[in-house]
Amino acid sequence: MTLADTSSRAGVVFKSLAAAAGVVLGAYLVWGLRSLIVPATVGGLLAYICRPLVARLERSRVPRGVAIVLLLLVFVLAALVIVNRIRAVMPSDADALELRIRALYTLNHRYEALMGLDRPLTRGNRIYRLMHDDLDPLLDRVGQLLALTPEERAQFVASRPRGAHDAPAGSDRLVEYERANVETLERRARAALAEPATKSAPRSLAASAPTPAAQTPLAALGDILSTWIIAPLMFLFLLRDTGEIKRGLLRAVPNRLFEPALNVLADLDRALGDYVRGLFLECCLLGLTVVLLLTLIGVPLQWAIAIGIFTGATNVIPYMGFAAALLSGLAYALLAEDIRPPLPMVSSENFVIWVIVAVALAELLKNVVYEPIVLGGAVNLHPLVVVIGVLGGAVLFGLVGMLLAVPTITVVKVLVSSTARQLKAYGLI
Amino acid sequence: MKTKFDLPGIKKLLLRRPADTESLDASAAPARALFGPTPETAVAEKGSSLVDFLKQVTLFEDLGRRDLRRLARIVHERDYHDGEYIFQEGKPGATFFVLRRGLIEVVREGSSGTEVPLAMLEPPASFEESAAMGAESVRWFSARARGPVSLLTLGKSDLDALSVNFPLLANKVLMRLAGIMAIRFRMLLDAQYLKESEKPQETDQ
Repeated sequence: MTLADTSSRAGVVFKSLAAAAGVVLGAYLVWGLRSLIVPATVGGLLAYICRPLVARLERSRVPRGVAIVLLLLVFVLAALVIVNRIRAVMPSDADALELRIRALYTLNHRYEALMGLDRPLTRGNRIYRLMHDDLDPLLDRVGQLLALTPEERAQFVASRPRGAHDAPAGSDRLVEYERANVETLERRARAALAEPATKSAPRSLAASAPTPAAQTPLAALGDILSTWIIAPLMFLFLLRDTGEIKRGLLRAVPNRLFEPALNVLADLDRALGDYVRGLFLECCLLGLTVVLLLTLIGVPLQWAIAIGIFTGATNVIPYMGFAAALLSGLAYALLAEDIRPPLPMVSSENFVIWVIVAVALAELLKNVVYEPIVLGGAVNLHPLVVVIGVLGGAVLFGLVGMLLAVPTITVVKVLVSSTARQLKAYGLI
Repeated sequence: MKTKFDLPGIKKLLLRRPADTESLDASAAPARALFGPTPETAVAEKGSSLVDFLKQVTLFEDLGRRDLRRLARIVHERDYHDGEYIFQEGKPGATFFVLRRGLIEVVREGSSGTEVPLAMLEPPASFEESAAMGAESVRWFSARARGPVSLLTLGKSDLDALSVNFPLLANKVLMRLAGIMAIRFRMLLDAQYLKESEKPQETDQ
């Protein structure tokens, strides 16, 4: 073996070790900084969406810096308006208690009606016999969340007009609801005791579930701010960039790889741009559809808009938009008392079914019409890959992983396929 | 509007044989029409800014300072050492080039497998415009650095992005690129015609 061979082999070993160390360091950094991934990505994606807007303003002779500051101001204003709106509709302590009482009452009432339960809550119709093993523990858990503690009950009684609690039946509906709730919970407890021990075990376990450590609102706000401060910074710097990042990356590429690298970057930019813009449009369309359909079946406009925004926002995660629309729609259906639908066939008895139909229709429209038209071939991924990717992302990184699974898979797919194609075209492999 | 492409003038310049063309293949005269301006049109570019340099390039001489600054933000600067290929014959093309410093040798593989020199380019010559125009082009010649070379390149993807963000500027650049390509094509046809019309005279002699 010659000296040149030995030195070449040492060089290869050194480069391999350096690459492996780089990968490990990169993975460690990603894991260590995972709490910053979502804010950084949100800032980056917003910058990506806003780039054409900045260019448009620049074309109108607005300096780039001024255009970016204007956009940032618009976002800050929008955020302030949204926060104010949310604060305005947030119930006070007394309102929250009333809401819980009403929700628990409606939930119990509708569950009993749907399952055809008898008075002691031990026998029901065929649906109940088929599903009560799964549904009862779930209902118990929701009931425990909504039921008032003795202190809350005392607070609620104190908040009612003097004498309301001892007044004759029908004079205060909420007091009646609360009485009915207590009675139903007692009946459910008796019914649970009557069941074999194995079946009632999960209920008692659920009751003793530990509650998370409490955090003061100021500390929580500090935590959020310290993490999310990266989002506007990312937004500003990426919008300020006029190609320096891309040119900086390409400057590090050897001359013979320049053109392939330029093409790969263009493919990546196209794929990511198509995905981000397509997804943004799809979320808007889905949100609008949900608003329209829910309004049609009798959900008041402000609640339909709230559910529509929530659905559109969660649609960023595959299959999550549908779940969000269904859960929030059903939650409204459980809470709603007076429903005045424009459609004659919708009534308070079948309202839940109509909510499910509306959400399913919106999902169908999304899958059959919006996705093929708006997203097109931007994310040409097999559904199994999407499901595995989202679940894998959730296991590894939680919500962040779910959120970034599809864009990450898309980027990796385009990177690998485009690199292979370019290297082959230029005779480099 | 002043005439940018005075055909006879440019033809005279582009088809004129430089003094050291003894080594160049005689049949390559039409091909030389396809390459950038000759030393006579080249402007001395020493230490000027990128915007100043772009202003001296025929392609961009119509653009205002603001547009030139925008253009300077998207062009890529590449440096090559002596003998390094800028690109090779037979490979796909996705960018066009403007020579900023140094000399570039344009060569093509002959039928016997030997290299045929076609032209020698000097700043601020531009070449391979068709690649940036989006033509699915495979390069039919090679370009090699003669000494240290500094180039500016603009890819098809850069022009696509420019078309989205600054359509008027992109339109101006594309119109100039198309104009240059049209002029070169006419000169190529002209040169081919001249070459064929000389053949009978040579036979007569």
